[in-house]
Amino acid sequence: MKRFRRQLFSGLFALIAATAGALWLNAKYNALPNYAYLTGWALLAGMFVLTIYNVRKKLPFLPLGKSETWLQIHIYLGFFTTLLFLIHLNFRAPHGWFEVVLAWLFVLVSGSGMVGLFFSRVLPRRLATRGGEVIFEKIPALRHALKTEAEDLAVGQETKSLVIAEFYPKRLAPFFAGPKNFWKHLVESRREVSALLAELEDLRRFANDTEKEIISKLTALVRQKDGLDYHRALQLALRLWLFVHIPLTYGLLVFTALHIILVFGFSGGAR
Amino acid sequence: MSEQLPAPDFDPQNYARPNENWICGHACKGHPCRIGPDKRGRCCATAECKPVLKTKPGETKGRWVCTRTSGECESGPLPDGSCCRSIAKCSPVPTLRLIRGRVTLAVIAASCAVLLVLLGNPPWRNNFISPGTISDPHSGAAFAALAVTNHLNQNCGACHVAGNSGPNGLVNVAWHAEPGILDLKKIAFAQAAEPTAIDESCLKCHAGKNVHQPAAPQISCSFCHAEHQGIKMAATTDANCNFCHGDAEKMVGAKVESGKRKAETIHHFADDHPQFRFLTEKLRDPDTLKFNHALHLTGATIPNLPGGVKLDCAFCHSPDAAGAFMRPVAFEQNCRVCHSLQFDPETPELKLPHGSAEFVSAYLRSLPKQYLNLAAQLGKDEDANGFAEKKLAGLRTQFGSGEDLEKRIFFSTATTAPEINVGNVNGPTRAIFPGCAYCHEVKNSRAGAPEITKPILTERWLTQAKFNHAAHANMSCAQCHDAVHSKDTADILLPAKETCATCHSPRGGVADTCAECHSYHKPLGAR
Repeated sequence: MKRFRRQLFSGLFALIAATAGALWLNAKYNALPNYAYLTGWALLAGMFVLTIYNVRKKLPFLPLGKSETWLQIHIYLGFFTTLLFLIHLNFRAPHGWFEVVLAWLFVLVSGSGMVGLFFSRVLPRRLATRGGEVIFEKIPALRHALKTEAEDLAVGQETKSLVIAEFYPKRLAPFFAGPKNFWKHLVESRREVSALLAELEDLRRFANDTEKEIISKLTALVRQKDGLDYHRALQLALRLWLFVHIPLTYGLLVFTALHIILVFGFSGGAR
Repeated sequence: MSEQLPAPDFDPQNYARPNENWICGHACKGHPCRIGPDKRGRCCATAECKPVLKTKPGETKGRWVCTRTSGECESGPLPDGSCCRSIAKCSPVPTLRLIRGRVTLAVIAASCAVLLVLLGNPPWRNNFISPGTISDPHSGAAFAALAVTNHLNQNCGACHVAGNSGPNGLVNVAWHAEPGILDLKKIAFAQAAEPTAIDESCLKCHAGKNVHQPAAPQISCSFCHAEHQGIKMAATTDANCNFCHGDAEKMVGAKVESGKRKAETIHHFADDHPQFRFLTEKLRDPDTLKFNHALHLTGATIPNLPGGVKLDCAFCHSPDAAGAFMRPVAFEQNCRVCHSLQFDPETPELKLPHGSAEFVSAYLRSLPKQYLNLAAQLGKDEDANGFAEKKLAGLRTQFGSGEDLEKRIFFSTATTAPEINVGNVNGPTRAIFPGCAYCHEVKNSRAGAPEITKPILTERWLTQAKFNHAAHANMSCAQCHDAVHSKDTADILLPAKETCATCHSPRGGVADTCAECHSYHKPLGAR
C-alpha cells in the first residue's frame, strides 16, 4: 500500500508539474508561427510512447523495464497527452469532417483509457469482496460443472421430485445454461438472483424433507453460480474496455498519419 | 524465486492458455485436451497416446506400447501402432485476445478503406478534408467565374497543389512540402508572418499586394487572412497589426527605411495610439473663406430659416449618398438662403451671380438691361426705361459711379451695410452684403475683374483612417465637433483622439480594433 501511495504521489506530482509547464509554455509561445506544428509533433510523440506500451507487453523477454513502470508511464502520459491534444486544438472545437472524426477518435481512445483506469482501480476491490480468486478462462468449465451438478440434483435418476422437476426447467435451467445478469452485476444489483432464491425458498412449502435437502443444495449452487457470474461480469468488464481502447488507438494512428499528410500537403505544398 | 513457482492449485494436466489465440473446445466442459489447438485454430487432438514400437533383442517385428501418461490403457495400441482410444475432435474457441486482435485489424482495415474511398473521389474528398467552411468570396459563384477567367481550378486546387491530387499525389506533395515533414528545425525556427508558398495562389487574383507603407515588411497573406473559418473571412485582429506596430525594433527599422519622423509602438487605441497629427502638428485649415461657426450657431443676430427653423449644423452639412461623409458646403444650397447677394436695397429682386468674378463684373455692367428685364417681369413695360433710369439714379445716389459700385461690391469689408431685405428670410436682422470681401479673399487684378481666391474645401483630414458618419448617427454633432466655440475658419473642427476613445475603448464598450479605422492595404486607386 505504501508503495502504491508513493507511486500515486510521484505520478500525480509529475503530471501536475508537466501540466503547469505545458500551460506556461503554451501561454508564452502560442504566437509562434508554426506553433500548431510543434504541438502536433509533441502530441504524436506522446501518442507513440502510449502505443508502444502495447508492443512492450508483447515482448516480455526484452529488457525494456518493468511492465508496472510502463503502465504508470502510460497512465500519466495518457492524461498529459489529453492536455497536449487540447493545446494542439488551441482549446477550440475542430471544424470539418476529417478533423471532427480525428478528434472524436482521440476522445474515444482517451475516454476508454480513463474508463479502463477506473475499472482497474474499482473492480478488483469489488471482486476481492465476493468469493475467492476465479480464473476467468476457467469460468466456463466451472459453470458447466455447476450446471451438471444442478441437473443431477434436480432431474437426476435418484431424484424423484415432481416439484423440483417442474421448477428446474422453468427457472433454474436457463439460469445455469450460461452467464447471466452482466449489467446487473456491474451495477451491483442482486435483484434477479434474490428473486430466484426467493422462489426456491417458496418451493420449500411444497417439498418434503428429502426435497428440502435438494432445494438447499440447489440454493447453494445458485449462489455459487451467481458468484461465478459476478466474477465473469467484472472480469469481462476489465477486459472489454480494451476492445474499444486498442482498436481505436490504431484507427486513430491511421487517421493521424493522414492528418500529417494533409497538413503538409495543403499548407506547405501550396503553389 | 518464489514468484516463479506455480500457484498451489495449479493443475499441470489442465493448463489454461489465456495467452494463446485458441483454446480447446472441450475446455468449457472442464476437460480440455492436453495438446490444445494449433496456432491456426485447428484441433490437434488425435488419440490419448502415441504408441511406441519397442523391439526386444532377438525380435524382428517388435511390439507397440501404450504411452498414456495416466497409465497404460487396458486395450493397448492397435496392431497398426495407432492408439485405440481416439479423442473426439472439438471446435477450438478463439480467445478474447484473438477476437480483440481481429477487431483491431478490422478497425485498421475499415479506416484505410474509408479513407481511400473518400480520398479517391474528388467531390467527397474536398468536403471530407476541408478543415472548415471557405469564405464566401472564395467559394461563391463570383469566385467560380473568376476562377474560369484566371484558368484556376474552382475547388481546393485553386489554392492548393494537393487539391488536384489523389492519394498518391497527396503523399508526394506532402513529402516534398516546404518545410518538409521531417524538417523540424525549419518548422521550429520559422519566422513569423514570412511569405509562404500559398501566397502565390492569392496573388493570382490579388496581383501585387499593396501595403500601406513602402517600408512595411512583406507579410504572408494568410498571416492576417485566415481561410476556412466560415462564410465571412475572419477579420484581422490587433495581434496582426501589433506584429509590426507593437514591436519597437521593427518600428525603428521602418522609421529608418521610410524616413518618417516618428516610430511609435501602438498596442491599443486608447492607450498608446498617437494623438491625431492635425493636433500634434497644429495644422490649420488653409481655407481663405471667412466663416464664423460660433456666430452662425449661437449668434443672436442670426435670423431663423424659412419656416422659422433655427440654423443648425444639418442645414449646411448633409451626408453623401453612402452616409459616410458630408457633402461639401455649396453656396447656392446652403448660403444664398440668407446671403442672397442683394446689392440694391430698393430692388430686392436683383441678386448678384455667385461663383465667378467675371460674371459679377459682367452683371454689374449690364445693370440697365437687368432693370429693363425686371420691369418687364413686373409688368411695367410701358415705362420700362423710366423704371430703369430711376433705379440707376438711385444707385448713383447711394454708391456714386458704376466703378464705385463695382469696387464696393468686390472689396468692401465693412461689417455694416445698408439694411437689406434679404431673400425670403425675415427677422429682426438680416444678412448683410457689404461686398464679396466680406467672406472671400479678393485681390486686385490687372486684367478685367478682381480676383477672388477660390475657397479650399478640405474633404478629409484624417485620410489614413476610415470613418462613417451614419454609424455615429445616434450622437449629436457637438459631441465631436466643437463648432460653437470656433470663430476662425482655420480651426479644424475634428475631435481629439481622447474624444474617440471615450467610446472606442474597452471602457467605452465600442470596438477599438485597428481595423475599425485602418486598412493595411491601400485602396486600388492609391497604388
